[in-house]
Amino acid sequence: MNATRGTGGGSPPVVEFHDVTVAYGRRPVVWNVDLTIAEPCLFGIIGPNGAGKSTLLKAALGLVPLVGGSVRFFGAPLEQVRGRIGYVPQRETVDWDFPVTAMDVVLMGTYGRLGWFRRPGAQERRTARESLERVGLADVAGRQIGRLSGGQQQRVFLARALAQQADVYLFDEPMAGIDVRSQQHIFGVLAELRAEGRLVIAVHHDLRTAAEWFDHVALVDMRLVAAGPTAAVLTPDNLRRTYAGQIEVLDELARAVARRDRTP
Amino acid sequence: MTPIQPPAVAYNTLVVAAGVASVGFAAGVVGCLALLRKRPLVGDAAAHATLLGVAGAFLASGRRDVPTLLVGALVSAVAGLVALVLVRRFTRTRDDAATAVVIGVSFGAGVAVLSGITARGLPGGAGLEQFLLGHTAALTARDALMLAAVSGLTLMLVAAAFKEAITVAFDAAFAAATGWPVTFIDVAIVCLVAVMVVAGLPAAGAVLVTALVVIPPVAARQWTDHAATLLALAGVVGLVAALMGVAVSAVAPRLPTGPLVVLAAATLCAVSFLAAPQRGWLARRSAERAMLRQWLRGAALDRVLRAEEGGAAGAAAEVIVSAAGAGSARCRRVAEGVWLELVRREELVPAAGAAGLWRLSGAGRSAALERRRRVAEWRMILESAPEAAREGLTLDIPAPEAVLDAGLVAALCSGKG
Repeated sequence: MNATRGTGGGSPPVVEFHDVTVAYGRRPVVWNVDLTIAEPCLFGIIGPNGAGKSTLLKAALGLVPLVGGSVRFFGAPLEQVRGRIGYVPQRETVDWDFPVTAMDVVLMGTYGRLGWFRRPGAQERRTARESLERVGLADVAGRQIGRLSGGQQQRVFLARALAQQADVYLFDEPMAGIDVRSQQHIFGVLAELRAEGRLVIAVHHDLRTAAEWFDHVALVDMRLVAAGPTAAVLTPDNLRRTYAGQIEVLDELARAVARRDRTP
Repeated sequence: MTPIQPPAVAYNTLVVAAGVASVGFAAGVVGCLALLRKRPLVGDAAAHATLLGVAGAFLASGRRDVPTLLVGALVSAVAGLVALVLVRRFTRTRDDAATAVVIGVSFGAGVAVLSGITARGLPGGAGLEQFLLGHTAALTARDALMLAAVSGLTLMLVAAAFKEAITVAFDAAFAAATGWPVTFIDVAIVCLVAVMVVAGLPAAGAVLVTALVVIPPVAARQWTDHAATLLALAGVVGLVAALMGVAVSAVAPRLPTGPLVVLAAATLCAVSFLAAPQRGWLARRSAERAMLRQWLRGAALDRVLRAEEGGAAGAAAEVIVSAAGAGSARCRRVAEGVWLELVRREELVPAAGAAGLWRLSGAGRSAALERRRRVAEWRMILESAPEAAREGLTLDIPAPEAVLDAGLVAALCSGKG
């Protein structure tokens, strides 16, 4: 349908959703979604609450069963490329009272490559420390995760994803409920990842920042409304089709798009 | 003494049966309140704390008189619950961990004192283990009448305060805002649970009396969505389970009855999990599968329709099946069945002159076109009234006007032309 095709030529697209349908019980939450992301970029999945954005990520990761369609990474099924994919779940799903430090959490990012029963060594610790430095949290490495601010907590999980050294990163609402400075810090790291040639897919629901941050976006509300370069997709018509009836959202976006058009 | 001894024994058995049955009923009813208040383990904490009270009451009175021992049990059950509240309030411990701590400590202490009594061979002390696993054969008619009276009183209290208890369990903040003493009602519920746990001790014993408080409500919940019906049904399940214990005790007086009560309750619960309409596993599975079949049937028809529109004479079976069911191995199995059914119903027929390809028959084509029309309508509704679409759209892609207000559908779909 709305393919974001690049100039990549022979190499297979980074991610390909083919006719994906997911249902919880009898109700479809993701309905016949076709989406191709050909090249590494900052990709936003945008849509109203309950639109199936998170479910789409979980479907890509095999965390929820599909009732139709398939998802491929680098032209291969998930099982063959799992090690190249990093996932950062929503903050609410984490038990913040859990007795682990920021460093412990980030170290978990290296476990996938380490394999069963092997203990992390000096190299894993170095990777974890570097990841923490990259998100600006080296000085709180030893702190229990519940004693960090919301923004710091989110950055710890970003650091864990960095320690995974993946090629594709899936973030579920990375900016939800955190302060503006942390948001900018996180966004800076995401932009670095893109510069390194990695694909970053983030579920996001703040339209104002979406227009500033993402190169490509997909508008989703159960079905895919549109996907492609941000400016081409975030049109009043597409937004009306995605956020039916939520006039205030549209006004907000009109202002954001106007701002973005002025900036360059 | 006249020779009418057998009927006298039967009379005692009958009274005991009636008493224990009433305990089973009331325990099931009260257990519902604990379950609905999301505190199913309160009964377990109370139950394990009773043992210490039984032993204490025996040491204090020197007699193995059931009512005396049960009063001791009630005192220590309440003490155990108070300890639970204190652990929760003054430590940073989760509910389940706090409950486990209270269960472990109070039960350990109870068993220690009890075995001390047994080891010293105090007169009458040997029978106290009956309170560990339950033993209805040891009950007298007088004991049973007391148990029945306690159960009756409990049921009357629940009936009187049904509205209050359900409201607090459902929405404590609302109840508090209405001006009700939520804490008092909570304490009352917990105390009733403690009372019924103690009353259930002779039948099921301290270790297993939870079977009378927790299992019947869980079993009953599978069958009904109405609170009042739930309480009554749970009562019946508890009653049946308790009677099973009594029956076995009457036949084999040396056996502990608690395990039998548990087995009876668990059997009823398992049957409920499996066979209850709507909530039961069988019903949910078959509804889910029927929905999946409809979805895959539509996807298969659509695949063939698109192939034909693309100029092909039809589509190969493998293409049809995998297009519909690539999601998982289970999907694929169902998709294969769906394909066979489409062929059997002659909605798919062999394409003339193209071996191995299948095309749509007249009936198949109109079904495929009808589905496509509905999909288009749903997409339109999704754009203008997404809440309505989320409400009404299911995997079988029903006609919008069949599940939504017909006027709304007409307005939404015609407005866009």
